[in-house]
Amino acid sequence: MGVTCSLLIGCSGALSVVDPAGPAARTISTLWWVMLAGAAAILGMVLVLLGAAFRAKEIGDADETAGIKVWIVGLGLVFSMSVLAALTVYGLHVGHRLMPRAGADVVAVSAEARQWNWRFAYDNRPGHTTDGVLHIPAGRPVDVAITSLDVVHSFWVPRLAGKLDAIPGHVNTLRIEADMPGSYQGLSAEYNGPGYRMHVFTVKAHDAEAWDAFVSGAEQ
Amino acid sequence: MRDILRLLLPPLVWLASFSAIYGLHGVGCALRWPEISHQEVSLFRFALLSAWFAAILMQVALLFALHRDRFKAGSAFMQWTSLATGWVGLVAVLWTLYPVAVITACGAYG
Amino acid sequence: MTALRRHRKLTAIWASEPGWKGWTSSVNHSDLGRMFLVTAFFFFLVGGILAMLIRAQLATPHSAFVDAGAFAQFFTMHGTIMMFLFAIPTFEGLAIYLLPKMLGTRDLAFPRLTAYGYWCYAFGGSMLLIALVLGIAPDGGWFMYPPLTGPLHSPGINTDFWLIGITFVEISAICAAVELTVSILKYRAPGMSLDKMPIFAWYALVTALMILTGFPPLILGSVLLEVERAFGWPFFQADLGGDSLLWQHLFWLFGHPEVYIIFLPAAGVISTIIPVMARTTLLGYGWIVASAVALAFLSFGLWVHHMFTTGIPLMGLAFFSAASTLVAVPTGVQVFAWIGTLWKGRPELHLPMLHILGFFFTFVIGGLTGVMVAVVPFDWQTHDTAFITAHLHYVLFGGFVFPILAGIYYWLPLFTGRKRFFRLGEMAFGLIFVGFHGTFLAMHWVGLMGQRRRIETYDAETGWGVINLISSISSFVMAIGLAMVLVDVLIHAFVAVRGGRNPWKAGTLEWASMSPPPAYNFASLPHVVSRDPFHADPGLPNRLAKGEGYLGGPKANRRETLTVDIATGRPDFMVIYPGNTRLPIVMAAVTGLFFLSILLKLFWLTPLALAGVAALALVWVWRLGAQVDAGPQDAGRGAILPLAGETTKSPGWWGSVFLLAANGTFFGSLLFGYAFLWTVAPGWPPAEWLTPSLAELGIGIAAALSAALAMRFAIRSNCRSARPMTALVAAFGATVIAILTFAMLLSRVPPPDGHAYAATLCVLCAYALAHALLVSLMLSFVIARVLRGYTSAARAAELHIVSLWTDYLAVITILSLLAAHLPGMLA
Ligand code: HEM
Ligand SMILES: [Cu+2]
Ligand SMILES: [Cu+2]
Repeated sequence: MGVTCSLLIGCSGALSVVDPAGPAARTISTLWWVMLAGAAAILGMVLVLLGAAFRAKEIGDADETAGIKVWIVGLGLVFSMSVLAALTVYGLHVGHRLMPRAGADVVAVSAEARQWNWRFAYDNRPGHTTDGVLHIPAGRPVDVAITSLDVVHSFWVPRLAGKLDAIPGHVNTLRIEADMPGSYQGLSAEYNGPGYRMHVFTVKAHDAEAWDAFVSGAEQ
Repeated sequence: MRDILRLLLPPLVWLASFSAIYGLHGVGCALRWPEISHQEVSLFRFALLSAWFAAILMQVALLFALHRDRFKAGSAFMQWTSLATGWVGLVAVLWTLYPVAVITACGAYG
Repeated sequence: MTALRRHRKLTAIWASEPGWKGWTSSVNHSDLGRMFLVTAFFFFLVGGILAMLIRAQLATPHSAFVDAGAFAQFFTMHGTIMMFLFAIPTFEGLAIYLLPKMLGTRDLAFPRLTAYGYWCYAFGGSMLLIALVLGIAPDGGWFMYPPLTGPLHSPGINTDFWLIGITFVEISAICAAVELTVSILKYRAPGMSLDKMPIFAWYALVTALMILTGFPPLILGSVLLEVERAFGWPFFQADLGGDSLLWQHLFWLFGHPEVYIIFLPAAGVISTIIPVMARTTLLGYGWIVASAVALAFLSFGLWVHHMFTTGIPLMGLAFFSAASTLVAVPTGVQVFAWIGTLWKGRPELHLPMLHILGFFFTFVIGGLTGVMVAVVPFDWQTHDTAFITAHLHYVLFGGFVFPILAGIYYWLPLFTGRKRFFRLGEMAFGLIFVGFHGTFLAMHWVGLMGQRRRIETYDAETGWGVINLISSISSFVMAIGLAMVLVDVLIHAFVAVRGGRNPWKAGTLEWASMSPPPAYNFASLPHVVSRDPFHADPGLPNRLAKGEGYLGGPKANRRETLTVDIATGRPDFMVIYPGNTRLPIVMAAVTGLFFLSILLKLFWLTPLALAGVAALALVWVWRLGAQVDAGPQDAGRGAILPLAGETTKSPGWWGSVFLLAANGTFFGSLLFGYAFLWTVAPGWPPAEWLTPSLAELGIGIAAALSAALAMRFAIRSNCRSARPMTALVAAFGATVIAILTFAMLLSRVPPPDGHAYAATLCVLCAYALAHALLVSLMLSFVIARVLRGYTSAARAAELHIVSLWTDYLAVITILSLLAAHLPGMLA
């Protein structure tokens, strides 16, 4: 994987899906590399088969049934169905693992989007809200309850997890987690009007101490 | 026209059962059915599974019917093609609805 | 009669008026097919220029070439034009032009409808162009999600242009779909049973059926959103019992099938060209037909994969994820069948084949990334990033533009009767291929690096600059290639040398016509005994020209063709087409007036325009038919056939069946919307339900059922040569009662701007009321026809058509009355 990364432009980046900084993003990143390898192999196979059709050959006495057996039943049905069945099951398994589940150390926060601001609130610190910055503890699963006050937005911190929409009238819950303390960039990822590009936020992951300070209101 | 309908019927039945089960799932989650269970068995899961089996049975029945003289197509070509789409219907029901058996119905938060 | 005299005589009967005036009155499928294609490519040019503007803006970080507002108009209009004004009309044009020739007949089922469809497309498209030129174009993205596009967040007229213009254009798609379906099923050369149809016809049939069931949800969505914008009925507003997710469901219920509606005709082109280029036959014809049908159905079960990030529970997503991977199987079957065909024969690298190779490479990559984004967690990351933009262009450009370019070069000799002599096309292909992949391959990567779609610029620190610059430069390379194709085609059309018939040695019937084909296609209709009739009988063109087929003896001023039994291809009726007329363009203009009145909020004009459309429609149908029985007709080669108007299942009846299928999908989507809001939307139940009334329910249902029953009596007594007046008047009376019931119901519904429940109920009742009015109009029409002697025991076609509509009215009356009254009763 590292090789592929350096061959191309590179994987790292503040918004890079393939530079994961949390378990969910890492799982999906692995999924991507597996699928990329598989796709490359299949593409290679198809291109070889296609190229070979142009080789000089006897005018084969067009035998339909043999052709159908190889091309349609063999490659078209058996081959594609086995690859796709495996991928479907693997993908759903991954999805299942990423679902938010209740647990003792889960931290609950909420995110409320509007044109063009994000406001965050914290179950551990009732009444306190922050605009444009979401504070979370590092190394602990955080469930973000996402909603919107006006149009559809989407909550996305590429290095931590996939995205989930903020839809008026609905509350969606996304599980994120950062391995290490630090700052992570977040974006709104559903077109929401002229301020779309600047509709961003930051996730600050704190170590245990700083998080306790934040929760108790000691910090700032 | 009967020939065309025969060709379209099995996948149409798949589409209907697929949409119906997706709808059932949506309604169930919206109305918090997973919380109702009877002796450890979630009634919601039971309902989903029964609907799935019913859908499978329908496809199998269609395949049988296509083999019966009464429903056979007029020409060999149409008969073959109808059987092919009959199998498409059966595979589609199995493939697209298997999640009812393996995935948490509505998530930990309902 | 000599071949030349026959040609002169037929040309006199079939030709359009000369000069540009002929365009406005032509109902000929070759003319209209060409007009569709030229217009569609004009829109491709406009969409392409917008794409260039987008790429110019994104080439470097912090570009200040355009601002966010203009950029939003650019990407919205680029997507909208490409999907609605280029891709779909290109299919329609190609199918309209080619199908009658491939099927060995003289025109499509409803020539005037072809023309009406074209003008609706031209006028609707112009509305969007005007908006673009005036700088008030839609700007909410091509899928127009509310609430962003709702009255509160987009008060301007921009969104209305989209909703109204696109709905107008969709009328044309529905017309074309009805037309193509009936034509493929009924208007074929005698002997062409279903298994002998050219493969392109199967693909076109499947595509047309998909348009009939795929477009109505979007039409419904557009109607609802426009009503919300114009009158404040809150279908998509969460605080008043609406839900913006309903739009997403309706849009993608259309939007995903749309992708296959675009791909399938292209696959039909590929399936046609590959065997010819490889000098063999298609491998697994039956498998391909079954795959196309499977693909069509599966594609209706995928729509939620565009909504993986909307918070639907995982099991719901899993259904659609699984369906999305399954849909790759029939696609795979086709791709491998094509490669197998190439192996079976000896492929030659002519220009069309180059574009097909371009298709293979591009489309396979697009399919593979498509399978990737079908995997739910991966989509959570890539959704709404440049990765998706890259994927969708691999699919659409690879799966549509390359095949269409192949098709253009393949059929160009037929269109023009000339042959190419410059080698411009080969170079153009190279530029397009390299340019395309340069533009989009790297965009996958920049998407993974976090570049969202639809942002007007980005910071230099992101490190996306290099990739975007490569992408933009390549896109200009591609543009040069496409411009060269245009030049090549123009040179070809105007200055190239004449070529011979059938340069590719193909076996399908379009090549047995002249090149370019005459207005009547075939001097006499062939009897088809194999899938490649031209291969089976190389002397076919001459024999047809000599009048040795069906209908070889032209009769004074009658545009004749014949229809066949759907399955067997046995000839069953003779058809006489209407001649040139300006009725279609006038009716399209008045239809346009209706849409304009809504766009400009000139509501006084709306009923006038509607009345105008109704009046013109009456003229339209009144002109058909005859006042005497013509009896069986001699169609040549020993076939004695009744006229289509003297049967029970006339072309009009078939047309109604398929139109009602589309209509039923619309109604079904409306019921779905009602149920969806009820179960999913926040803010339900509403403060008050409609007060249920058993009397209203009973009277309405009884009335609609009696109307349907009375129509049956009418048909029965007509059959026994009695005048069916009593039954018809009874049916009319019952329909009037149904109208009154719905009018009363509408007056009792709670205020529709207060809650989505009342709003939906109003739409439901209005829909039923409109149908009751329509049926009453039809019944008055038949009554007048009976009085004027246009019907007889034989000439019963019109009664059967109206009976279909009364039956439909009965069904929707029952369902909508139950939907209106049951909630109140249960509460
Ligand atoms: C002629 C070459 C083309 C180029 C260079 C091109 C370029 C682009 C670019 C750069 C975008 C992304 C805008 C953004 O999100 O920032 C885009 C969006 C899009 N393109 Fe193309 N495109 C081309 C052809 C096509 C064709 C042939 C189709 C369809 C048949 C198509 C359909 C779309 C759609 C549906 C979108 C999404 C629009 C939206 O986000 O609302 N494009 N195109
Ligand atoms: Cu899709
Ligand atoms: Cu796709």
